[in-house]
Amino acid sequence: MNYKKIDMGSYQLHFIQTDRFKTITVRVCLRDKIVKEEITLRNFLTTFLTYSTDTYRSKRELVLKAQDLYAVNAYTKSYRAGRFNMISFYLSMLNEKYTEKGMLSASLDFLADIIFHPNFYDEEKFQEAFQYLYQSMETSIKGLKENPTLYSAVRMLEEMDKDAPYAYHEHGYLSDLEKIDKQLLEEYYHKMISSSLVDIYVIGDFDEDEMLLYMKEKMAFETFKRPKVSQLIVHDKLPKRAKIRKEEVDGNQSKLTIGCKIGQLDEFERNYVLSIYNMILGSGSESKFFRIIREQNSMAYYVYSSLNKLDSLMLIRAGISKDNFEQVVKLIKKEMKEMATGDFKEEDIEIAQNNYLTLLKEIEDNENAIIETYLAKDLLNLGDIEERKQMIKKVTKEDIIQVAKKVKIDTIFLLEGNKEDEGN
Amino acid sequence: MKEIKLKGLDQSVFYEELSSGLKVYMVPYPNKSNYAMHYIAKYGSTNTTFIPVGKDKMIKVPDGSAHFLEHKMFEQEDGVDPFTFAAKTGTSSNASTSYKTTRYYFEGNTGFCDNLDYLLTFVHHPYFTDQNVEKEKGIIAEEIMQYDDEVDWVLDEELRKAIFQKDNTRIDIGGTIESISQITKEILYDIHRTFYQPSNMILVISGHFDCEEALEVIKHNQALKEAVTNEKIIEEKIKEPKEVNLKKKEIEFNIVNTKVAYGIKIPLKEVKDRYKFNLYLGLMNNIVFGLSSRFRERMKQLKLMTSFYLEREIIGDYLILTYIADSKDPERFVQEIKKELANMDIQEEELERLKKVWISSEVVMVDNIVMTLENMVYDIITYGDIIPNKVDIFRSLNKEELDKTLNSIDFSNASMVVVHPKKA
Repeated sequence: MNYKKIDMGSYQLHFIQTDRFKTITVRVCLRDKIVKEEITLRNFLTTFLTYSTDTYRSKRELVLKAQDLYAVNAYTKSYRAGRFNMISFYLSMLNEKYTEKGMLSASLDFLADIIFHPNFYDEEKFQEAFQYLYQSMETSIKGLKENPTLYSAVRMLEEMDKDAPYAYHEHGYLSDLEKIDKQLLEEYYHKMISSSLVDIYVIGDFDEDEMLLYMKEKMAFETFKRPKVSQLIVHDKLPKRAKIRKEEVDGNQSKLTIGCKIGQLDEFERNYVLSIYNMILGSGSESKFFRIIREQNSMAYYVYSSLNKLDSLMLIRAGISKDNFEQVVKLIKKEMKEMATGDFKEEDIEIAQNNYLTLLKEIEDNENAIIETYLAKDLLNLGDIEERKQMIKKVTKEDIIQVAKKVKIDTIFLLEGNKEDEGN
Repeated sequence: MKEIKLKGLDQSVFYEELSSGLKVYMVPYPNKSNYAMHYIAKYGSTNTTFIPVGKDKMIKVPDGSAHFLEHKMFEQEDGVDPFTFAAKTGTSSNASTSYKTTRYYFEGNTGFCDNLDYLLTFVHHPYFTDQNVEKEKGIIAEEIMQYDDEVDWVLDEELRKAIFQKDNTRIDIGGTIESISQITKEILYDIHRTFYQPSNMILVISGHFDCEEALEVIKHNQALKEAVTNEKIIEEKIKEPKEVNLKKKEIEFNIVNTKVAYGIKIPLKEVKDRYKFNLYLGLMNNIVFGLSSRFRERMKQLKLMTSFYLEREIIGDYLILTYIADSKDPERFVQEIKKELANMDIQEEELERLKKVWISSEVVMVDNIVMTLENMVYDIITYGDIIPNKVDIFRSLNKEELDKTLNSIDFSNASMVVVHPKKA
């Protein structure tokens, strides 16, 4: 695998050369500071761009074109990363070796069309797309409660701090949806395209000179402003006592979500020690949570912790019966305390390190995961795969204890199922 | 060891049937980093009534027994469970139960031989006690409750119950809290002895490994040798009538948006080539209802649906076509589907375009070790063997056969399930 970064002036171009895949994958990332009121608009815009373009004015035409290009896969994703929002355009195509000459250029044209030529001009087709996307988005925002696991996490984060970026609803808000019209959409599009921080990643087996030429020609970004804000959210104060909140819903099972704030860490602690800490405590079937809460006490079908490094948060989730609430919380607290007092084995560290190494190697067979590693390098200053392999081995028990002391429970949220008594 | 070339895809499958009766399929990828090994018993939630090996009377096991057994295989006599074993090398391990199969798998990138040997060993080493069976009931009850809270799951379950009159797919894979309470260690041993014999199992491995080395491990595995019983499995066969059980069912659930599922039941008894038959229905679904269809475009214009999914599944001697949507007017939406099915007019050009798409997708898919494995398993379970000449079959699809196939089907044999939001 060969990596190269090229400064194109208005954006950074990343080439990752490898003959491991039969496909070529391109990801265009646009980053900008997140604004709560823009989330809904942003979501709307990203789906709109892959729904109707100036050249292919309906979803049907877009899909037919993609099929003609040997089933090229083009899609967008929009999500929050720390204080930023991230819009990504993906394109995945079969290498020309397996299709026909000219397909690379034609597929990149297709992607460029999606990014640079939105359909703001054909009023009839615009309205058609607008009406449909509006209805879909309304359905999806209203449907948040239909996914109790997600809903429980969203509510917990709101209880933690309703003004913090991590509490913003990624689905968007109905009140903001109602404000969206063509003018707003068009303004936001121009803002996004001209003021985001842009990175383009290309991975696969391709001719670099040819690709560079295509990029210059087709990806003509003219960004003029670069946000200088750090993406990372840090918690200056850690909670002394945990908040407990409960909400009742119609359902069988109760969903427990616990939010923990993580104090100031240095880069090594954040990038490596924290990962090992999380693996030992609550991620995977070898973790303390899984063994003790699920296996030994049969108190949950699932229970795990996960990290949100850019938010300096750790989330713990469990599907439990509400009668066990207090005991499960007690066990979780106990396991967390054990981490801080060093009540875990050297062997646990070794297992976690091996796990980490295996996960790293898993990345090698996945184009998008490889791109993510280079993106993480920019976001968190995390090393490349080789560097990570070396660094993870340096994590010691003392390091983990120090990090464990800085992880504090902030909010405990229980979404209570009201039908439980019938079941049990 | 027999080499089977996957035609037009640059990839081979190596096959061997061992003296124990175990069938082994191997797909080596020297260029990748990871491997996946899936060990599968042809025993799932629908195999409920049989004569246990060594006994002479037919028994009926409680609903959910297959899934219960899957959980219990992770408890081993020496106290080291497979999760722990696999985790030592960072390998991920898990299991799943379907209507027809129970599978156990390891996925990773180190310790191939040890992991393979262990996988075969633990699956043939049950350790059930009254106590550990009791303990599992709590965990599984949580799992069942969790699924009962998910509307998509409930919709799917209700549709199956509406379509099938007698078939065991009417029964939930996990069973009910009531049914699993009747499970005992004796029942589990009966099932294990009967269905987990090598001649009723398949082993599929793909990724980075050496076939010769793998075969050596398999041939020398002691547990596998001891598991041979040479007894035939005698099961009760259920005859499922052609007609659907219920034309329509309406329920209420804690949701915001009305959902509808429409399932068409197509008998396969008279069909000679089920694979091709299924492909033609896939073509039809794609062209008539897929992302590039006029139907979808029209439904959006009429605001009759937001999300819309299609599924195709072979269950026993039936093929089930399922259409699931969020719709404000489910009656009208289903009427539109019926109308479309009655007036299909597929063009040669559309068929050719889709063939190109399918061939390209096949190339992309064979590049992914897990997807390749999954597809092989699906084909073995559904059609009895792998299908090495898919690309040729795709090329051979033609309008004449398509029309003939579609004309032979009675699309009116169908059930409809509507989930309404609960009235406040």
